[in-house]
Amino acid sequence: MNYAMSLDYQSCIDCKACEVACKEENGVQLGADKQRIWVTQIEKSIFGQPFVALHPSQCNHCLDAPCVDVCPTGSSYFAEGGIVMTDKDLCILCKGCMEACPYDARFVDDTHVAVDKCSFCYETRLVHGEVSTACQATCPTKVRLLGDIDDEESDLVKMLKERKFYVLKEEEKTVPKLFYLLPEHDDYYAMNSVDPDTKIYTWDTFKPIIEKAKAKRKPQWKKIIL
Amino acid sequence: MEKNHPINFHLNSVGLKTLLTDKMMIIAYLFLALAAFGVIEMIYERYFLLSATAFDAGLNPGNRDVANAMKEAVFGHGGEVKREAPWSLYIVSYMYMIYVGSGIIFLVAMAELFEIEIIVKPAAGFLTLGLGMLFAGLFTIMMDLNVLNVHWMLLSPQYGSGMWLMMPLYMVYIPLVILEIYLILNHQKEWIKKVAFMIIVVGVLVEFVEFYVQAKLFDMNSARHLWTTYPILPLYFMVSSFAASLAIMGLYAYLVCKSQILMHTLERGALYFVLALGAYEAIAYLFIDKKWAEIILFGSFKYYFYLYILLAVIIPFALLFKHYLNKYFKLVASLSIIVGTFLGKMIFVYGGNAYPMSDRFGVGFEKYGEYEEVKEVIFFMPPLSEIAIVIGSIGVILFIFRVADLFFSVSVVEDKN
Repeated sequence: MNYAMSLDYQSCIDCKACEVACKEENGVQLGADKQRIWVTQIEKSIFGQPFVALHPSQCNHCLDAPCVDVCPTGSSYFAEGGIVMTDKDLCILCKGCMEACPYDARFVDDTHVAVDKCSFCYETRLVHGEVSTACQATCPTKVRLLGDIDDEESDLVKMLKERKFYVLKEEEKTVPKLFYLLPEHDDYYAMNSVDPDTKIYTWDTFKPIIEKAKAKRKPQWKKIIL
Repeated sequence: MEKNHPINFHLNSVGLKTLLTDKMMIIAYLFLALAAFGVIEMIYERYFLLSATAFDAGLNPGNRDVANAMKEAVFGHGGEVKREAPWSLYIVSYMYMIYVGSGIIFLVAMAELFEIEIIVKPAAGFLTLGLGMLFAGLFTIMMDLNVLNVHWMLLSPQYGSGMWLMMPLYMVYIPLVILEIYLILNHQKEWIKKVAFMIIVVGVLVEFVEFYVQAKLFDMNSARHLWTTYPILPLYFMVSSFAASLAIMGLYAYLVCKSQILMHTLERGALYFVLALGAYEAIAYLFIDKKWAEIILFGSFKYYFYLYILLAVIIPFALLFKHYLNKYFKLVASLSIIVGTFLGKMIFVYGGNAYPMSDRFGVGFEKYGEYEEVKEVIFFMPPLSEIAIVIGSIGVILFIFRVADLFFSVSVVEDKN
């Protein structure tokens, strides 16, 4: 099992239902700065006409996550299923993981005085056998899709075989597992919604990268303690 | 003062009145009072400020505390730590105190190794000063951490983490320094000769490892390219720290030893490191990530950077290059280096955080909040508690040094060998 997620970001309508569902289901601290997931707004313009690009995001659950390496107590760890988890009871609040995360995905949960982040709803869903997250379940336009990338027959892998995608900050070599699906049917929009230098992948070109990173890190995967 | 001799060791009899009314102790107490104010504020902010989760509102409908916490979440400061800039003044102060303190210890150890008499004579005082700075740095970082969970550093060690490696390093290093001071104070020539060399070699090893580990810690944070693209990062830490160490030793020579010759010797050493620091910065920015280099050299941080170069390099160079005999020139040079190198560390930490993480998609800067403007550079003023703790940590140095001096006369300059 190796959990990952695709994001059909072109479909995002910035309704924030995912942010609310995440907070509600996982008991996340209230506050604009305290988010496990979020929808990014990027203001741009074409020929003087302003528009807003929307990019939903969260922890990338990197296969080669730098946040785990810097943690001095094992509070951040690789869990079974390739999920990057945090154990708040072990967190000394050194904030090294927040600095190390290239995706700005972590924040301080003041109610526990510890660092918090997305867990792919492990505590509330995956542990009960569900393969979905609160943000995915609530999304009216079906932006997100959680799945097992080890299973070639999973809906996620089928989707990735059909669509091109990119990952964030691949130059950091963290092997992130949020796959941003390139918009379909509109090449002009597709290429304007990403940086020209962004490498576009197909499943066949990205799979070896995943396999290599998994082989390196799998010995560190631990059982999740709730 | 009357001397007692417990375990063959000279201990001055110091009354409570002296401990309370000594001028330097009073200054230390004032700084410590400021630190205590900061600690109380920090504890309130971190452990007692109301915060609410999404569950609270459902579980406690109508509860006044939950309502206040929700109000704080919307209209408050958004917690003690900002997501975009997790490290701030605590880390700057920690780095400065630890590097400069261990720099002093390293230089004194080298002086002992090579029998540089002028530095060996006041060695106990210098080492106590260095030790005081180490404790000041540790005090600052402990206030930054969640102290309730720090025991997990021992119970759940992560040997590969640079942050964890610091702990055993200090557990070896600090007792070594204390042992070194003990040997010097105890006038035990044979023991000094037999043990000092071994201690110095281990001390040198520990200090190099320390510089390496600290640099590695930053180097692991791949997200912040200012840090990872600094060429030979340990070299930066060493050069800037030794410049500051020699400046602080020069200040000590002026204030405590009142020795012009010692001050002159130390300032000459500082000049070489100041020149090396200037050369390093000039070369480093050829390699540093363009995005960071741009905001630091030409963008929002430019005035801080030029002030840093002015204070840490240009003013000391101008004052020390020619052998001016005026001691005030040397004093100003010392103070300029001390402030300048601290500013340099601030630029390093704040600059590392500054270039937005928010260009993650490579198509422009993100809005962090619905009603916020798009920020191209991240900068947050540290909270008052943090500023108070950092300034107050000077009290830790003064307190340790003065207590050691009152009881053990560490500042008395004599030929202990």
